[in-house]
Amino acid sequence: MNPITPIINGLRITLSHMFKKPITLQYPDERPKVAARFRGLHALNVSHNKAKCVACYLCPTVCPAKCITVEAGEDANHDKYAAKYEIDMLRCIFCGYCVEACPVDAIRMTGEFELANYRREDFVYSKERLLEKK
Amino acid sequence: MLNLTIDGKQVTAPKDSTIYDAARINGIKIPILCHDKKLKPFGACRMCLVEVEQMKGRQIPACTTPITEGMIVQTATPEIVKARELVLELLLLNHPLDCPVCDKGGDCDLQNLTYDYKVDSNRFLDSKFQHEIDYNNPLIERDMNRCVLCGKCVRICDEIVGFGALTFIDRGIETKIGCEFEKGLNCEFCGSCVSVCPVGSLLARPFKFKARFWSLTKQKSVCGYCGTGCNLTLGVKDNKVLTTIYDENQGFHNGQLCVRGRFGYQFINSEKRLTKPLVRKNGKLEESNWDEALEIIASRMKGAGAEVAAIATPRLTNEELLLFKKMMIMAGSNNYDHAAGYAHAALSDGFVRSFGTTAAPSTILDIQKSDLLLVIKTDSYETHPVIGFEINMAVKNKGVTLKILSDKQGKLSRLPDARTLVHSPGSEVAILNAMARVILDNKLADGSVTDVPGFANFEKALAGFAPEAIAEQCGLSAVDIKLLASSYARAEKALILFPVGQAYPGHNAALANAVANLAIIAGKLGKEGSGVLCLSEKNNSQGAVDMGFYAVDGALDALQIIDGCAAGSIKTLFIAGENPLVSYPDHAKIKAALDQTEFLIVSELFMTETAAMADVVLPVCSFAEKEGTVTATDRRVQHIKPAIKKIGQSRTDFEVFAALIDKLGGIAPATPASVFAEIAANVPGYADMSYSALGDEGVFAAVDVKPAFVVPQQTAAASPESGKLALVTGSALYHNGTLSQYGEGPMHVCPEGYIELSRADAAALKFAENDLLTVTSASGSMKLKARVTSRMPQGLVFAPYHFGANPVNQVWSGSPVTWVTVVK
Ligand code: SF4
Ligand code: SF4
Ligand code: SF4
Ligand code: SF4
Ligand code: SF4
Ligand code: FES
Repeated sequence: MNPITPIINGLRITLSHMFKKPITLQYPDERPKVAARFRGLHALNVSHNKAKCVACYLCPTVCPAKCITVEAGEDANHDKYAAKYEIDMLRCIFCGYCVEACPVDAIRMTGEFELANYRREDFVYSKERLLEKK
Repeated sequence: MLNLTIDGKQVTAPKDSTIYDAARINGIKIPILCHDKKLKPFGACRMCLVEVEQMKGRQIPACTTPITEGMIVQTATPEIVKARELVLELLLLNHPLDCPVCDKGGDCDLQNLTYDYKVDSNRFLDSKFQHEIDYNNPLIERDMNRCVLCGKCVRICDEIVGFGALTFIDRGIETKIGCEFEKGLNCEFCGSCVSVCPVGSLLARPFKFKARFWSLTKQKSVCGYCGTGCNLTLGVKDNKVLTTIYDENQGFHNGQLCVRGRFGYQFINSEKRLTKPLVRKNGKLEESNWDEALEIIASRMKGAGAEVAAIATPRLTNEELLLFKKMMIMAGSNNYDHAAGYAHAALSDGFVRSFGTTAAPSTILDIQKSDLLLVIKTDSYETHPVIGFEINMAVKNKGVTLKILSDKQGKLSRLPDARTLVHSPGSEVAILNAMARVILDNKLADGSVTDVPGFANFEKALAGFAPEAIAEQCGLSAVDIKLLASSYARAEKALILFPVGQAYPGHNAALANAVANLAIIAGKLGKEGSGVLCLSEKNNSQGAVDMGFYAVDGALDALQIIDGCAAGSIKTLFIAGENPLVSYPDHAKIKAALDQTEFLIVSELFMTETAAMADVVLPVCSFAEKEGTVTATDRRVQHIKPAIKKIGQSRTDFEVFAALIDKLGGIAPATPASVFAEIAANVPGYADMSYSALGDEGVFAAVDVKPAFVVPQQTAAASPESGKLALVTGSALYHNGTLSQYGEGPMHVCPEGYIELSRADAAALKFAENDLLTVTSASGSMKLKARVTSRMPQGLVFAPYHFGANPVNQVWSGSPVTWVTVVK
């Protein structure tokens, strides 16, 4: 092969990109559009003004990173609810198993991906922080 | 043995097996839902359907069908699988399917079978059950919507527990399980029904929503309450014992427990546990550290000689007791004892003289193998409920005759054909002697008794126990005594049981001797299903005696130690785990004595009434945090291992005594294992034992019995004081010692002391249930709630002793019968 050919081929690719729309986002000025199935920060679904979670412990059981802590409580109607529900985002690997395991559709994953924080404690999301915002 | 073919495999099985048993023995699994190996075959659920070729391939239940020679059985043909799927579909039709919030999830037979048979849809349509759920009971939650009507709860409560609290109510699709008149559950709360329920209909309320089954670590252990020594499994999560787990293959009792074992575990992780050593400074107990506390104790102990004394609870392990003893000997004192002294006298004094050993010759396993059981005091059920289950099963299933000699009726009296002789309180020894006399007079004695040492003197002494005279003293008829004696003597195998404990001062050496004499004269020793069984009170009462942790050779026993404290001759007292202020007789005397004691050391789990008086309080561990061995009442030596890490800064008693031995200049053994090796080398009967030999279920220490007659002492009949009632103390079913006060389960159902009296007395004195009565004796006065029952004879009142808030020893000064006046 002519030694010059690969160089020309390379330059051709480079040149063609000059006429394409850039993939790079000028984050944070530009925001990405996350797909519906994106696995970002969790949210606890709400129904009838309370979290749907019934504290069945399936998500902490299935979670491979063991980052979910649930403590069940008994409410005034003797029903089971999550008195404590915490996810340690520093350990979460965003696999989405918790969502798959949930028998009552109580947890989903949102498009929220900006999880940076200054203190370690702030990565532990309590039930209040996880409740879906309406 | 019969030969049969199951799924094409040639197998053999004992001839009284069912098809299910035969399959199980040979490793073939047939699904079951309503069958339980402890209960009689029932055949309610049809999960276990199999085909038998000889029955023209009809589908029949394996759990109720006996095998026959040459049977050809198929357990999993497509038709059978279809039939089982149908059974499940029908069960699930009205079932709420709330597995996510059902505590049974993960341990549920219905859930597992549904999964195994992949039943994920239903061809039928119907509404779900709408039964009311009982949330009110503190221990057992009943949700009949989840019930599969297997009847196991009904059957276990009847067949084994003998209570009969539950039954089927209504018919057809309306059928449900409930209590009489659909009222709330008010029973023994043994939790047996909860254990066997295959679904989430019956659940342990204290454990409600605490954790899922699969997240618990299962730790095998031995119950820390009574001397029965039941095996149990602790469910542990995050260093907390959250529940007890039923394992039908555990122990002689197949996982059965009583209310204390099942629901009394909360003391282990109680908020009230002591976590730091406390030292009294300027009159107040203040938090300190181990170094300081142990240093102070060591300085008091060093060279103190006979001025120091020790009282231990027989809840310590064998190793700890042995080490405690060594420590005391290093300090120069032989004054150590346990269980108020008299509570172990039947073993340490009575049996020593009668049998030449400190243990009873029989075991719990003899109960079901016997022909006749003679139980002294109906309280045997309350003190040792799981032994009570064995008696229930012996009487109900094996047709064993039950005779009871007691000062009151009790649960055991209600067993089929049980005969209870209710005698005046405190006269059991005289009656037993009179029985011996009857046996001798009627030539029913064993042929070789004349060779037994002491026979001549015994025969002579029996002259003073003519049944007629004794009958009159004891409120019985001579005929009854004679009949009892002859049926006892004539039974091929007969076993005598009697409880001992701190609330039973009358069950002493004399009683042990009388029982032993009777068994010897009737030739009832040395046979399976026969003999004598002394039911010792605490989980290691027998071990404490075996380790020799009691006064010998003129040393002071527990009550003499208390006297010594009062007199000032004992200056330092080390109490390990005992709570004499509540559990020893005569509150005022004990209090004064402990007040007088110059230096009081208490090692405890809790700030008990006694610990509150101490100069140094050491926080120590519960049975769930330590390693060692304990010896059950029938000398079953069992190995316990830590289930959780130690709470707070607490240490095991072993570590405490070891540290003190070091400080006193000795060399302490490093581990409980090394002390156990020493025990195996030195303690008679424990020879060749090792942790590995003990395994999960323990090993019986051998008992070498050399029978001898002990001459009975004439005892004056307790003379009634006119206008007064006879108070007898004892144990309540829900409690054991004072520890169960810290178990939430027992306190839910029996939170305070009471005085139980007969309907006749209540009517005469115009008392009603729950009236607050003032009970006055020669030694004091106190208030107790009235409980009016039909089991008490007129003139007798009963009070349990466990409660620190209002201890019965304010009126009870240690005699078997206390004369009291009771007013409203
Ligand atoms: S799986 Fe769902 S219902 Fe169960 S604990 Fe997790 S979020 Fe709650
Ligand atoms: S009883 Fe079993 S099947 Fe029924 S809800 Fe509970 S766990 Fe599920
Ligand atoms: S707890 Fe025991 S006594 Fe009560 S209903 Fe259940 S099995 Fe019967
Ligand atoms: S409550 Fe439980 S044990 Fe009793 S019949 Fe129903 S399913 Fe069986
Ligand atoms: S208290 Fe006694 S009878 Fe009850 S479970 Fe414990 S060892 Fe068994
Ligand atoms: S297990 Fe045989 S019928 Fe229920």
